[in-house]
Amino acid sequence: MVSGAHMTESTPLLQVTDLSIRFAGVPGNLVDGVSLTLNAGETLCVVGESGCGKSLTALALMGLLPMPPARRMSGQAIFEGQDLFDMPLEALKDIRGNRMAMIFQEPMTSLNPAIKVGEQIAEAVRRHKGVNREQARARALEMLRRVRIPAPEKRLDEYPHQMSGGMRQRAMIAMALANDPALLIADEPTTALDVTVQAQVLDLMRTLQRETNAALIMITHDLGVVAEMADTVVVMYAGRIVEAGPVRKVFEDPQHPYTIGLMSSMPDLGPRGGRLVTIPGVVPPADAMPEGCRFAARCPFAGADCAAAPPLRDLGDRHRVACWRAPLEFGAPDLAAHPAAQGAAS
Amino acid sequence: MTTPDLILETRSLRRRFVTRKPLLGPPVEVRAVDGVDLRIRRGETFAIVGESGCGKSTLARMLVRLIEPSEGTVLFENRNITGLRGEEMRAMRRDLQFIFQDPFASLNPRMTVGALIEEPLRAHGLGGPDERRARVAELLERVGLLPQHADRYPHEFSGGQRQRIGIARALACAPKLVIADEPVSALDVSIQAQVVNLLQDLKDEFALTLIIIAHDLAVIRHMADRVGVMYLGQLVEVADTDTLFTHPRHPYTEALISAIPVPRVGVKPPAHGLQGEPPNPIAPPAGCRFHPRCPYATELCRSTPPPLTRLAAGASVACHHAPDLSLQGLNDTGTGRSPAAERRFALYRAMREQREGQTLPVPPEPEI
Repeated sequence: MVSGAHMTESTPLLQVTDLSIRFAGVPGNLVDGVSLTLNAGETLCVVGESGCGKSLTALALMGLLPMPPARRMSGQAIFEGQDLFDMPLEALKDIRGNRMAMIFQEPMTSLNPAIKVGEQIAEAVRRHKGVNREQARARALEMLRRVRIPAPEKRLDEYPHQMSGGMRQRAMIAMALANDPALLIADEPTTALDVTVQAQVLDLMRTLQRETNAALIMITHDLGVVAEMADTVVVMYAGRIVEAGPVRKVFEDPQHPYTIGLMSSMPDLGPRGGRLVTIPGVVPPADAMPEGCRFAARCPFAGADCAAAPPLRDLGDRHRVACWRAPLEFGAPDLAAHPAAQGAAS
Repeated sequence: MTTPDLILETRSLRRRFVTRKPLLGPPVEVRAVDGVDLRIRRGETFAIVGESGCGKSTLARMLVRLIEPSEGTVLFENRNITGLRGEEMRAMRRDLQFIFQDPFASLNPRMTVGALIEEPLRAHGLGGPDERRARVAELLERVGLLPQHADRYPHEFSGGQRQRIGIARALACAPKLVIADEPVSALDVSIQAQVVNLLQDLKDEFALTLIIIAHDLAVIRHMADRVGVMYLGQLVEVADTDTLFTHPRHPYTEALISAIPVPRVGVKPPAHGLQGEPPNPIAPPAGCRFHPRCPYATELCRSTPPPLTRLAAGASVACHHAPDLSLQGLNDTGTGRSPAAERRFALYRAMREQREGQTLPVPPEPEI
């Protein structure tokens, strides 16, 4: 019945089905069976640690994965009715920077250091909109104004190195949004920024999204950013989605032991108290991915059955989890008597 | 009133760097640290927080004289260490150790882990070869690695493990004070938590005083006893951690706190961030350096720099209007977590305790 309610909605903007990515010389899939749905105007946050496959997923969508060494094993990504993975490069180039755009963590590496910022934005407009130089420059100026860069007329003719980190990230956002894309992918857009500048940039992204109704896929490791930005969340671990759902569901009813471990690893902003409850060990190396649940070796709830990969089950309300033990209260009944569980439950 | 036992003190500490020497006229200078008075108590964890370019790393390096101050003094156990030379300074360094941010850049790639950890022992002539080897093995185990890791090279380890090696190296000759510059900011969340716990355990075990430089306010809230907030080369507020986060006295502290993204849904309206960006430290604004971005600034702030004024023991603020302002801190009422999340957290904690009770106190890291 839940799915029925969504059937009546218009088709999603982006529907990724069963994306798997493999690299030459690595036996396991580095992205394994990832499926995502994104509606117009929606913000999806993909959260996970280094090597979880979140950036690979984004690069694959943009057609930016170097192939080889990467090989796509399977999957479809239907964006505005077309499969991004099954179209000629020329067609993809017409979509990229136009209907979908990407911003990266470090704008210094993605802006051309030898070209003035205004020209770089204008170039993106001219490539897709068939306008002349003056019109493109006017659009670039308008975009710099919309991302609230002070003195935009002057900034048009500056080089990236003349701007601060926060300004460069704004310029990147201006370039990405110059052609009014329907989808913006942002890979750790504020990780390199100071906390007050991060707040400015996140605020700007929210405002622009409201104005343009663009959908946003935001890749981050910061659960605080997720809580502030996301409508839906996807938690990835070692190439697989372990939990996904509406942001409130995932934060208020976390199901996967990895999600819970990640949340309890983050220092709480509440009053100080004791040690952090950590996740032991490290992520399995790419060439030694276990067959079954990839988190099992670090999971305090793991048992013999975790040698088989758990499917991503729907718990209702689009909340999905890949764990044999979920919900954990029933998976580990003997713990109800444990003093730590009793103390906190009261 | 008893005076606190101070382990480290700085007086009007300043550092200028020449950024450019024009053909004519005086050299262009940036005042990275501009008159800092710190009073660090023995046994505390003191955090220095601020944004890029505020001078926090320069300050940290001056405390151990990795950078020489331009002016001012550093007193370690009431002794001025700014003028020490040669053998005297070398002896002093035994008590003052430094942990660097980037565990990829701060370990010599050509030395084995054993040699890296042994190096400070050799430099200070501590113990014979056998004793040193035993000490290295002990330190490796203490930081959660294995004795046999001594024969490997840094590139064979992950970021978290390398940071553990850096910590073992800093602790090798039993220092009294450890200064850690962004010790966990290069690490993933789950690894960060392991290293934060390790630092706290070691601090207790080795009776250390810890100074951490960080920009992550959540980590600071968790680890520090007191916090000093820096803005453009100067301290603007010093307070004990709970007070600073719940009742900030400086408008900049308030702005920093309101900008933290809180990992819970809907507990706080999203922040809009401060107006503008940190100004150029080469030409800091007149008066209070924060005034161009401060929502409470008045004419007084534009003309007169506010002195760092003592509010209570171990707490001070540099703001003309601190007595009249009522600033917003973090709201401490309730954690805001739902019962279901709270229950899962408790289960997770319980299950970890149960499993670890059966196995090892420190989770073994997989062989590489």
